Amino acid sequence: MFTIYKHELKEYVKSLLVWGICAGGIGFLCILLFSSMQESMESMTESFASMGLFADAFGMSQLSIATLEGFYATEVGTIHGLSGAMFAAVVSADMLSKEEDGHTGEFLFSLPLKREKAVLAKWSAVMSHILLFNLFCLSLYLAGIFALGGEMDFCRLFLYHGMQVLMQFEVAGICFCISAFQRKNKLGLSLGLALLLYAYDLIARVVPDLAGYKLFSPFSYANASDLFSTGEIYMEGTALGLVVLAASVAAAHVAYGRKDLAV
Amino acid sequence: MPNVIEIRHLTKTYGKCRGVSDVSFQVAKGDIFGFLGPNGAGKSTTIRSMLGLIRFQRGSIRILGKDIRTDREGILREVGYLPSETMFYPKMRVKDLLRMAADVRKKDCRKEAGKLCQRLQIDVDKKISDLSLGNRKKVGIVCAMQHRPKLFVFDEPTSGLDPLMQNEFFKLVQEYTAEGATCMLSTHVLSEVKNYCKNTAIMKEGKLLCVDSVANITRTSAKRVKLQREGRQESYLYEGDINELVRGLAGHDIQDILIEEPSLEEIFMHFYTPDAALRQEGEGSPAGRQEDATM
Repeated sequence: MFTIYKHELKEYVKSLLVWGICAGGIGFLCILLFSSMQESMESMTESFASMGLFADAFGMSQLSIATLEGFYATEVGTIHGLSGAMFAAVVSADMLSKEEDGHTGEFLFSLPLKREKAVLAKWSAVMSHILLFNLFCLSLYLAGIFALGGEMDFCRLFLYHGMQVLMQFEVAGICFCISAFQRKNKLGLSLGLALLLYAYDLIARVVPDLAGYKLFSPFSYANASDLFSTGEIYMEGTALGLVVLAASVAAAHVAYGRKDLAV
Repeated sequence: MPNVIEIRHLTKTYGKCRGVSDVSFQVAKGDIFGFLGPNGAGKSTTIRSMLGLIRFQRGSIRILGKDIRTDREGILREVGYLPSETMFYPKMRVKDLLRMAADVRKKDCRKEAGKLCQRLQIDVDKKISDLSLGNRKKVGIVCAMQHRPKLFVFDEPTSGLDPLMQNEFFKLVQEYTAEGATCMLSTHVLSEVKNYCKNTAIMKEGKLLCVDSVANITRTSAKRVKLQREGRQESYLYEGDINELVRGLAGHDIQDILIEEPSLEEIFMHFYTPDAALRQEGEGSPAGRQEDATM
């Protein structure tokens, strides 16, 4: 099982570096830009706060963009949230289906390895990649924060990044489950799903009638503005996220274990 | 001699599509067993069922005394499989792939892998994506052999290999089987079955047509008759009373005649195109049973 885990870690290491450098690098630069933009941000804060639904959607009505926390939540939070969800989709979208798509299933599953163990090894590799991506990005963000003096509520920062990891696990779990049922690579579908969930969260925050339904998107409990402004976990959304994550991985496990492998 | 493979009443359907139906056969220890059939006959379905890659609806498969439904992992530990489409992870190097297969088996196969790579002339530092079909096949052969399994299952092993490598491959198979391994060889190449297999099974449209020794299958009452009469060369398969044939030929001016056993190819064709060969069209004159008159 560890052999498959190691193999999958190696397979996606380039994706990890590309996405990590892009997301972490952009976030790092954004943080560094804050000091030069701080003055203009102060004048923009009031106008952003008065933008109504738009400000609500991006959390600018809850936090001042003129503070590092507010700037981090609205700017870095958006970049990291979107790129994290997309990276989670990329590493999980073809994790199982690639064995049939690339005709490698006959090689892999003719080795003395229970299919369920292979699924577990692959899911462990997905989680490891997500953790590594987040650690890499967080290291760059922290470097940026400390370069600016290191003034930040770190409890809320770590809470936000913890919830981001959970959100990315959920997105990855859903894509992993889709992958178990597919025989072809569905990267487009998985990326689309990640973006759709993000868009749904934005809409649910803007449309008052949908406010009660925002928990259906994993972005609801991993929203930077909410977490930085309140410091509290959105329990309903988190609980549903955990249920969806567990159900998705379990369904992938069962479905792939029973599947007739195409060659 | 104990059976290494025991398949009983294997039935597999893909929804409404046919897979295999009521397939039963055994393969004894030490045998090189030919598995013949055209595309879509059900050979690969049978093999994939044997390896637990697909689930079957009815029947049972026991390999090395173990049931594939309950001890798949235990069976695969002792099996070396070469799929017909030999595909690996393109980004990997050959040596990493071989190590990965050995690591999953929790075996140190470096010595055997080194020997096999040398004999099959494989560059282990090459990337899989840089390998030709034939070289990928050779890597597949090493993957199937490096752990010295008790049972080899080869699906079209020689497709893509040059004649020298085909020869080397069969030498290796014979060496391993001489040491007690068993080999199941699924192929379209009849000469391979004729030259290397003791027993064979023939599949058609998901059903097993026959299982017998290669010697018995080629031993048939049909005869290939080649003759030259009245300036014409004729050749046909005759099945029936040999005295009738001799009496039928007696009245003709025959310059030359050869009566021999039909080839394995002809018998194979008999199973798949019954109209083309081994016809017993009445009991008339030999000319009436003529198959391919001009040679």
